[in-house]
Amino acid sequence: MKGAVIQAKAGIADGILNFLKEALDKGFFDALLLPVRVPAGDSFSYILMRDTSLLDGAFPLPPVMPVQGARALSSLTRYGKGTNRIAVLMRPCEIRAAIELHKLDQVDLENIFLLSVDCPGVLPLGDYIKDPRKGDALYEKVLQEWIIRSPRWACDICDKFSMPHSDAHFGILGAPESSLFVIPGTTKGKDFLESLDIEYHTSVKSWETKVQELTEEISKKREQTLQALSRDTRGPERLLGIFSKCINCHNCMRVCPICYCRQCYFDSDALKLTPDNYLMRAQKKGALRFMPDTLLFQLGRMSHMGLSCVSCGTCEDACPMAIPVSRIFTLVADSMQEVFDYVAGRNPQDPLPQIVYKEEELKEVEKAYIETYNK
Amino acid sequence: MEEEFKPKIVGFLCNWCSYAGADLAGVSRLKYPSTILPVRVMCSSRVDPLHIITALLKGADGVLIAGCHPGDCHYQKGNYHTRRRFALLKRVLENLGFDADRMRLSWVSASEGRRFAKVVGEFTEKIKELGPNPCREEHFL
Repeated sequence: MKGAVIQAKAGIADGILNFLKEALDKGFFDALLLPVRVPAGDSFSYILMRDTSLLDGAFPLPPVMPVQGARALSSLTRYGKGTNRIAVLMRPCEIRAAIELHKLDQVDLENIFLLSVDCPGVLPLGDYIKDPRKGDALYEKVLQEWIIRSPRWACDICDKFSMPHSDAHFGILGAPESSLFVIPGTTKGKDFLESLDIEYHTSVKSWETKVQELTEEISKKREQTLQALSRDTRGPERLLGIFSKCINCHNCMRVCPICYCRQCYFDSDALKLTPDNYLMRAQKKGALRFMPDTLLFQLGRMSHMGLSCVSCGTCEDACPMAIPVSRIFTLVADSMQEVFDYVAGRNPQDPLPQIVYKEEELKEVEKAYIETYNK
Repeated sequence: MEEEFKPKIVGFLCNWCSYAGADLAGVSRLKYPSTILPVRVMCSSRVDPLHIITALLKGADGVLIAGCHPGDCHYQKGNYHTRRRFALLKRVLENLGFDADRMRLSWVSASEGRRFAKVVGEFTEKIKELGPNPCREEHFL
């Protein structure tokens, strides 16, 4: 792979922002969508900006992920491409979610320029909100030492922390002192660097090696963690042990980048059953929890969006009851995607497995009765 | 004496093949266990994973999805999608330690009354082996 080297004398963030400022000044984009610290100083949100003076408050790698960037991008482009060319700087998991939404017709990538950056993970939202200053200091350290082992579970075992299928990627790992790599991922990305008169044929071998090493290390860890998790969550009883404290707020669904349906089945009246129905169920069982159907919501949501789950962990951040939602979802989603050798967000060209099929496949699920019948 | 366990099976039958197959079994006076509660759907791919999960969590002992044989779908490709979805849901349930054997996918055409009777018979035997669905008694579900 080849890329360009850009200066980052005053830190990673500064290097990226200066670069973007120059691109905006030269008119390659009409606007930028970047995370900016909110005025109160205790959180971050995506801001669509044209004014370069706003760039000073921007954070290419904020310490938390309160809003999944793919959601922000979807609200901008879900009715099709706009006339503005917008550059979006997001973490790899956000880019992957955006690609999934693109396949689901909720994001139009044509006039969007996807920029990604090596990601050391984020801090759990709940911890950060309690003491943002402490969080900032901690994250400063994370950025310097590049410890991916952030205390957030989803990030801790994220083996897709580097270049996703983006137009251009900022490589931090393995870059020379006070500089960054800019690696074009698509022809759009190459055009972009050419228009900025940046030569992009420098080898980025050091970045590739570092990324590969870390990926291998974390992949191993991911596998082990998921195996251990799988042992602890088997069976309706254990699963209920995890989910029975759910208060049915559906926050996990609302923040999920993949859950785009305007009316979720679980918010609809279809699940508000009549008192008679509840009484009947209570009578049959001898007792019934109110509100019932918690596990139904979790399992149903899982089976609806699991194929596109990018394991970003936003659901877990949003849970007021500290239920390890993203762990269970990751565990299931990984094995669902494995059935069709699919990885959510890997490539916009991979079709969603639900919409394609092969005539000869999955014989094992239908086998049972064919054999005995033919005897 | 303890009463013998009689499974409750929810059967989603496609309008064009399996429902007609079930009908034929009835018209031909074939004997099969009265464990199945048929639900007619226009196509087996109409069955959302949620229907199956709902049935299982609310205490159905088994869920049968039956549709036209691959290639024979009235809507050309509905049953191929059914098969994909079925495989996925099976994965979800297996992963979380549910008994995925409680759900079955079978192809029964309109002329296969005998096959329908046999499918129900065999599935009922299988469910009897597995015993009642533990979710039936669970108060917190």
